[in-house]
Amino acid sequence: MKSFILALVIALIPCSAFALSATEIMTKSHEAFYYPGKDFKARMVMKLISAGGQQRIRELTLLRKNFPGDKQKYFIYFFQPADVKDMTFMVYKYPDRDSDRWLYIPALNMVRRIAAQDKRSSFVGSDFSYEDVSGRNVNEDVHTLVREEKLGARDCYVVKSVPKAADVEFSYKLSWVDKASYLPLKEQYYDRRGELLKVFTADEVKTVKGFPTITKRTMKNVQSGHSTVVTFEKTDYNLGLSDSLFSERFMKRPPQQWIE
Amino acid sequence: MRKFSLVEFSVNHPRLVVVLSVLITGLFMTQFPKIKTDTNPKHMLPATSDVRVWNNKVEKTFGLYKDVIVVGIRNDKGVLNPATLSSMQRITDRILGLKGVAARDVSSFETIDNVTSEGGTLKVGPLMPHAPKTAGGINDLKKQLFGNPLYLGRIISKDGKTAAIYVPLEEGANGKQIADAIRKIVKEVDGQKGGDEYYIAGDPVARDTFGVEMFKLMAVFAPIAMMVMFLIRYLMFRDLFLSITLMMDAMMSIIWSMGLLIGLGFPVHIMSSMAPVFLMAIATDSMHIFNEFYFRYREKKDKKTAIIETMNAVSRPVRNTALATAAGFAVLMFMHIVPVRIFGGLVAFGTISLRVLSFSFIPAMFTFVKDKNLEKIARSEDIDTGRTARFLKKLAGLGIHKPAATVIIGLLLFATAVAGISKTVVNNNLVEWFKKGSPIRVADTVINRSLGGTSLGYIVAISNKDGYMKSPEALRYIEGLQRDLQKLPVVGKTTSVADYVKQINYVLHGNDPKYYLVPPTEQMIGQYLFLFSMSAKPSDLDNVVDYPFQRANIWVQLKTWNARAMREVIKEVARYKAAHPTPMDFKPAGIAYFNLVWNNEVLWDMVKGFALALIVVFAILAYDFRSVKWAIVGYMPLLFTIVLIYGVIGFSGKDFDMPISVLSTLSLGMAVDFAIHFVSRFRRRLAEKNAGGGRPGKELITESLLWTAARPGKGIMRNAVLFASAFSVMLFAPLTPYVTVGAFIVSMMMLSSLLTMIYLPALVTLFSGWLFDGGK
Repeated sequence: MKSFILALVIALIPCSAFALSATEIMTKSHEAFYYPGKDFKARMVMKLISAGGQQRIRELTLLRKNFPGDKQKYFIYFFQPADVKDMTFMVYKYPDRDSDRWLYIPALNMVRRIAAQDKRSSFVGSDFSYEDVSGRNVNEDVHTLVREEKLGARDCYVVKSVPKAADVEFSYKLSWVDKASYLPLKEQYYDRRGELLKVFTADEVKTVKGFPTITKRTMKNVQSGHSTVVTFEKTDYNLGLSDSLFSERFMKRPPQQWIE
Repeated sequence: MRKFSLVEFSVNHPRLVVVLSVLITGLFMTQFPKIKTDTNPKHMLPATSDVRVWNNKVEKTFGLYKDVIVVGIRNDKGVLNPATLSSMQRITDRILGLKGVAARDVSSFETIDNVTSEGGTLKVGPLMPHAPKTAGGINDLKKQLFGNPLYLGRIISKDGKTAAIYVPLEEGANGKQIADAIRKIVKEVDGQKGGDEYYIAGDPVARDTFGVEMFKLMAVFAPIAMMVMFLIRYLMFRDLFLSITLMMDAMMSIIWSMGLLIGLGFPVHIMSSMAPVFLMAIATDSMHIFNEFYFRYREKKDKKTAIIETMNAVSRPVRNTALATAAGFAVLMFMHIVPVRIFGGLVAFGTISLRVLSFSFIPAMFTFVKDKNLEKIARSEDIDTGRTARFLKKLAGLGIHKPAATVIIGLLLFATAVAGISKTVVNNNLVEWFKKGSPIRVADTVINRSLGGTSLGYIVAISNKDGYMKSPEALRYIEGLQRDLQKLPVVGKTTSVADYVKQINYVLHGNDPKYYLVPPTEQMIGQYLFLFSMSAKPSDLDNVVDYPFQRANIWVQLKTWNARAMREVIKEVARYKAAHPTPMDFKPAGIAYFNLVWNNEVLWDMVKGFALALIVVFAILAYDFRSVKWAIVGYMPLLFTIVLIYGVIGFSGKDFDMPISVLSTLSLGMAVDFAIHFVSRFRRRLAEKNAGGGRPGKELITESLLWTAARPGKGIMRNAVLFASAFSVMLFAPLTPYVTVGAFIVSMMMLSSLLTMIYLPALVTLFSGWLFDGGK
């Protein structure tokens, strides 16, 4: 379905083949990064490291399921910090409009819907934004292929993406997309002054059930000196997560078998 | 008698001496292109000083910024209207693009985080993503702003007429440059229309503007002072050539010492930038050589003999005043603060250079003056008939004929001054270094009138237990401390992690004011803070609490840059802790705390140096006069001058601040000179006239005192007038420390010369029995 639409788009707009191929690369990369499998599970350990070297740990299980029409649902259960144990967070992601988010606060035994006006804001205090976790819509940027070069041993496309909207904190992003797996191996975000702001690196890539997966990644804010390192443990695909899991009811009482 | 031979050598080989002096000057001048300047007055404290190390640590722990510029927006009809908001937004956008601005942490309507609750949904995002255009949008914004205590007094005033943008700077960015850039943006965006006014305040602006302005003033006022001195000298001596000689003497010593400073690789700090003015002041001492020379020339009619005899007569006092001055400044080299040490060394070196020039360059230059010109001038230098001379004799006569009354009046003044000194307020206020109407002062006043305050201090709460700052006990304590601090008039607003927790509690409970409090369990606090970290900029939380939740940072916005404001806060924290025991410790930090420490350290270092210099100068006097008794008498004008000036400062309520403490050292260089000249020449005269030896008679003493007042006294008065008039120019400077310099020097010159002319003769007359006891 997706590739069909893509083929259609390519057929309909035959001009500027270079830019199109860049968009194609980014679309494929988006697919490889955020959509592999029918569903996905990982136990994530996030290390938030301040410029002064202090650390904060976030430990969580992330469950994702793909739905028709490029829709996705996310379910997040927190283990750490200790005082937020049992907190859960749920996201319904739509390709064409803002996500719906819910948060369960155990201390109040209360689920609250969260209307976030800023997708670029920080995910649980880390250097990753919500968009970095669930993916930024490819259509929101204009992509150009800058060059092709090796990053380490890997052949990469280097794509420059410029946001169409003005209110995004970065003015452009450079992505090094692996020609083989289409995973982004490195990204550089430049602020509105054109100065380097954040750097993403894929530190470890493993193939899980045939899907190349970034199992360790770092986002470093080079201006503030703050960085976040995320490691994936217990990564798995196609587990057969049920639709009903992604509901308010399970937020309050998450099934052990899925979150462990 | 090496000095003697230097003078003779110079008189015999004048061309060589002049050429050599110019060559040496040229040599020092070659160093000038290497000049490095450091305009940051705060660099007086080294990077390794406790306060800088501690502040750096606190900044690192809480992700804070050293420097923050506050942009105030004021409209008398209220800032919450579409036009003002839209220009505010455009201006914020442009500020975010400035180099040196830490864009990620700029706080404004557009960037500040806002968590609200609406019908069970938590809304998270920036307060004002887009400037509202409709009345409904404006009302909505108003509701958000006034409903959130975190915003009130920070980004919006209670009356809605003033808003603020907080612009943190990256390390090393220059506050003046960024303030200038923001002013340009305001102009370009056409921000100042519809009654909108923009004000730019904050420590980095004041500090960096001051640094730059101070250097500029030095470049303007030093030459003006020099020109005024030149003009007055010309009026005094009517000889262009000699006036130029005197000016060259000062110029050379300035070039020598500044060249040495630059050559040694030291940056020219604002403190050393004052050295040229000081040296110019000290250089006026060569006036005594000229003064005496014309008298001698009139008596001898031979240039060469007159020069050598002049140097004979004045060499001792000139040498000793130089010694006293140089030693006074050299003492500063043993102080704690590096720029103070450099300054001391610099002026000491300059003083010695000046004296070397006085014994070589000046006598050499005398030989080039045409006899005809000399005669013309010398004719007016008559001790008996000159109007000035008669006036000076009258002045000294006051002291000589009514010694007891004079001494008692002096003592009464002295006692009053001491009472004034006891009222001295030690304080410093960087913003008040600018004049009342200056943009920096106005901006600060306007913003501080309606918002929490432009000056920021921190109180860091420290516990020895990880996670303690999540306990209700800790948060309630901090809340109570904040409430207490807010009662201080100098405190405008405080912000802590407790405020964030209370706000989240309130929002999560559907904006029920009942829940605007610290929740009862640690678990709730932990989860609220987590929610906060999910919804706001991570730095917001980092700013108030450290990673292990062991330390919390209370922001204390102060309404004044007075150093003593932070002192009051610290005292109040200690008092509160004593009354309410807690396992937490509290330590101050931040720019307001830095200013307090900086001010204290520099000020007391100067005061200590000054006190030490006073002792050294006394010792030199005693050595010079070979008599402790005479040293005590000679010391009086200096002591009285200082005490009277500080007494007036104490009574006037003017703060005893850093610039004044720096000036104290100048008085050492100047005020003692007159007494040295007076006492030396008086005793020499007395010895000449009292050829038989033994105890001099009363008439002889009176005659000698009158002679001294009229002849070297003329040099003293000339010196004082020259000096005072040159420095009175500074009274018109736009920076208050310069006005202080001007006022200080003018009054110091007038006081110390008058004291020397009136009080010294009175003391000598009254205590002649004691002074001449045993011939010494």
